[in-house]
Amino acid sequence: MVRYLIALVACLATLGLVACGDDDGDGGGTEANVLEPGQAKNASGDVTWCIGKDTSGAFTASIEKFNQENPKLQAKLLELPESADLQREQQVQRLRAESSECDVLGMDVIWTAEYAAAGWIYDLTPVVEKYEDTFIPSTVETVEYEGKKWALPYNTNAGFLYYRTNEVPQPPTTWEQVYKEAREKNGLVYQGERYEGLTVDFLELLYSSGGKVLSEDGETVEIDSPETREALEFLANGVKEGAVPKAVTTYEEESSRRAFEAGKATFMRNWPYAYALGKESDIADEFDIATFPGFAGNEGAGVVGGYNLGISAFSQNPEAALAFSEFLVTPEVQKLAMEATLPATVTEVYKDPKVREALPFAPELLKAVEQAEARPVSPVYTEISQAIYDNVFAVLNGRTSPDEAASAMNSEIEEALQRF
Amino acid sequence: MEAGAARLPRRRRRSVFRGEHRLGAAMLAPSLAVIGLVAAYPIFYAIWLSLNEYSVITPGLSRFVGFDNYSEALGSSQFWDAMKTTVLFTVISVGLELVIGLAMALVMHRAFRGRALLRAVVLVPWAILTVVTAITWRTIFEPELGFVNTMLNTLGLPGGDIVWLGEEGYALAVMIFADVWKTAPFMALLLLAGLQGIPDELHDAAKVDGASGWQRFRRITLPLLVPAITVALIFRTLDAMRIFDLPYILTKGANGTETLSLIAQEELVTNRNTGLGSALSVLTFLTVMGVSFLYIRFIGGNIRALTED
Repeated sequence: MVRYLIALVACLATLGLVACGDDDGDGGGTEANVLEPGQAKNASGDVTWCIGKDTSGAFTASIEKFNQENPKLQAKLLELPESADLQREQQVQRLRAESSECDVLGMDVIWTAEYAAAGWIYDLTPVVEKYEDTFIPSTVETVEYEGKKWALPYNTNAGFLYYRTNEVPQPPTTWEQVYKEAREKNGLVYQGERYEGLTVDFLELLYSSGGKVLSEDGETVEIDSPETREALEFLANGVKEGAVPKAVTTYEEESSRRAFEAGKATFMRNWPYAYALGKESDIADEFDIATFPGFAGNEGAGVVGGYNLGISAFSQNPEAALAFSEFLVTPEVQKLAMEATLPATVTEVYKDPKVREALPFAPELLKAVEQAEARPVSPVYTEISQAIYDNVFAVLNGRTSPDEAASAMNSEIEEALQRF
Repeated sequence: MEAGAARLPRRRRRSVFRGEHRLGAAMLAPSLAVIGLVAAYPIFYAIWLSLNEYSVITPGLSRFVGFDNYSEALGSSQFWDAMKTTVLFTVISVGLELVIGLAMALVMHRAFRGRALLRAVVLVPWAILTVVTAITWRTIFEPELGFVNTMLNTLGLPGGDIVWLGEEGYALAVMIFADVWKTAPFMALLLLAGLQGIPDELHDAAKVDGASGWQRFRRITLPLLVPAITVALIFRTLDAMRIFDLPYILTKGANGTETLSLIAQEELVTNRNTGLGSALSVLTFLTVMGVSFLYIRFIGGNIRALTED
């Protein structure tokens, strides 16, 4: 009997996962409340900002400045984990429980639709429209869902093509050339592991060739297209013909950076963060960056990354939250953040000489963000992305053909859109 | 219990101790209630969750769907692939751990200088967090720059160009290797405790009777170790069937390393499909429970037979 008991108790642990993943909240409705720009005027009291770990120091510096300039208001930082997935988990748990702990949410650009549809954030359309002219247009795309604007773009990001100047004096202007030179020289590395990074890398090609994941209104799936097949074919051939090492299917950002810095590749696709680190490595004087080349006879494209500021629908002090969010997107504070290496969403910041000193590649970064597009805007984005990276991954491994992958993506995304 | 004669005194004993019995039950009640609260409630709640579909779009909306989540789970190839991977991983890694752990326990059981130190050192891999272990192995098996490939290339051995975590088969092998490295010491510790419970007199008597070392191992050590082996196997099998952290870090479930816990976590946490995710968890729970009852039924049942011999 005792032995059965031991076994039973041990089994119970299997269900632990459910106990933390359940759902109690009776949630917000579909009609979200709107915040107007004027509402922040007489705000007072506390505001808590829940965003990822402050690795650059920009968050703390901005909060100090805010508290100094606004004696009636007191902002504080609640640091979430470093990884975006874990940040989302932390925020979602609080929002499902209708917790008022977080007033301002640092949201990865891909969470907008999910939070908005769930009724977890205020509709900020009038506020965003007031400042819209100051932002890089592609960053505003990431806060739009169902014709409304739900957050203020806070920082942005876009990928670069890194290349070794001692092997290729001039960066190629098309992806086809990149692959050709990679084959002749030392190869190209990117993020080919089965995760979000692969979705981004694939979309960069797809967007360049004019392909789409969803229709304009987000209702129909348009990924089963000649453009998708072409991009998949291109990626598959890259691995097959040796332009890209097989190891790429195990690479995320950090492992591709290590391979590039160790001289194992001529080209690398990566985010701007790798630039400063590369300048401290053995290849410091032997590499440079360029904005993405074109693909299939088109202009280069990219995918927008970064974070937006949403205001929690469960905040006890939305006025103060709004005052703080507006403060964070003023050119002055954006400059402060960018000097700490956080790419600004406000266009004029990129012209500032001090910013150029801190980030020498600021002009290229502005161009990269301007040519970038948002990822599909949908409340079920995580499932859409899974459908994309699962199938692209299978193609890279030669387990499926581009044809089959394109139609599998299409039907899997269609299924995800059916979720109620 | 074996003879009918035992009945009468037993009945009398029961009436004598009835009051005490009641007191005992009363004193047990609070802890049983706590167990009910922390164990039974989540189980039934999970089962309830698995019978509903919860809206991803509008939190709070849900509808009763009966066994739809189960038929979706059982009808998907992802579930059966994960089941195959999990079972394969469990059988191979627990098997290897048993053999290696037993060998380690036999060595540690011998009296020699520095035995206490060895016992402590052997436990180090088990004491390290699995996540840390997984990150370490991931770095070691990294293509091109990792320790394994660099070493194979330097020594001129074949396999230096293998992408260990990028190929089906190899990826699972690395996962099993990392698990065996980490938990064989735990197995050894449990078996060592069992070994220490075997009286030396039995071995001495067998020696006098002229039994060889192998015979003593087969006829004395192994049969008397069966209870310890059963407990160790149950613990390890249950752990292995629920493996999550190793594949999550090593491959994120790619290349034939997607386990039941990984797909349950993906549905529950990442995709917020509470109903389907709960159904997957309940299925994992039932599988694990089935396996442990089989253990107790077949190996556990032998204990009595063996000790009665």
